[in-house]
Amino acid sequence: MTTRTLPISKRGFNFETFMWAFTRFTAIAMYGFVLAGMIGGLIASAQTGADLGEVFYWAFFPNMAGNPLGQIWMTILAKLMVIAFVLTACGHGVHGALEIWDDYFASEGARRWARNFVIIYAFVASLIAIYVIWTA
Amino acid sequence: MGSKRNISLAKALRYKGQASYLTYILHRIGGSALFVFFTVYLLGLLGVESMHALMRNWLFQVIFLIFGLFHAINGLRITFLDLSPKLMEHFRTAINIEWVAYVLVAGFALFVVLRNAFGD
Repeated sequence: MTTRTLPISKRGFNFETFMWAFTRFTAIAMYGFVLAGMIGGLIASAQTGADLGEVFYWAFFPNMAGNPLGQIWMTILAKLMVIAFVLTACGHGVHGALEIWDDYFASEGARRWARNFVIIYAFVASLIAIYVIWTA
Repeated sequence: MGSKRNISLAKALRYKGQASYLTYILHRIGGSALFVFFTVYLLGLLGVESMHALMRNWLFQVIFLIFGLFHAINGLRITFLDLSPKLMEHFRTAINIEWVAYVLVAGFALFVVLRNAFGD
């Protein structure tokens, strides 16, 4: 089977291309964060003697688990990384959710409401996540 | 643009799309599952105990892992093929490799979750 493909250099730069690139690169960024988080978790658990599961539990629920990293500088880096991951996931998810909803909401009004809802949701959710993670 | 399709999922899967269509549908279901997971996670962070309990539930973990891991692995394939258009010729091979990777990763994750839930 032959496939038709257009080189990246010939795709032009419009809104669709921008959103396509944004979605792809945020996905790549999330893989990077996951990899860095796992390596960081392994290093931190080895240095502190903490169980790896405990480190990950703290990383996911910083306000509910005891901080196994103590006062070491990694704490700030870990918080910044989790915040960056959440913001990247939000950006990726907003576009993904809109793409799915656009297929099922037929009217212009419904699409506008869905668009407003998901953007406001992502904005509020990001603010809450940043606050909780940073103040934990 | 209307939302009427008049084609059932089963019929669509038997159509030419086959493996590509199945991955397309599962990717959307996985994305939606992650959207739900993100909301539950955020509410759990805020201290809603029922959401925290939900995240500890093995069935929730199994459903999240089955669809979430597929979304992540399928997304990797899509990104590779999109950024290297020449590889698009081999998309069926890429889908087969993806399924092997998915079965291995999801199998291990499910084993760990189920062992924690029912082990000992």
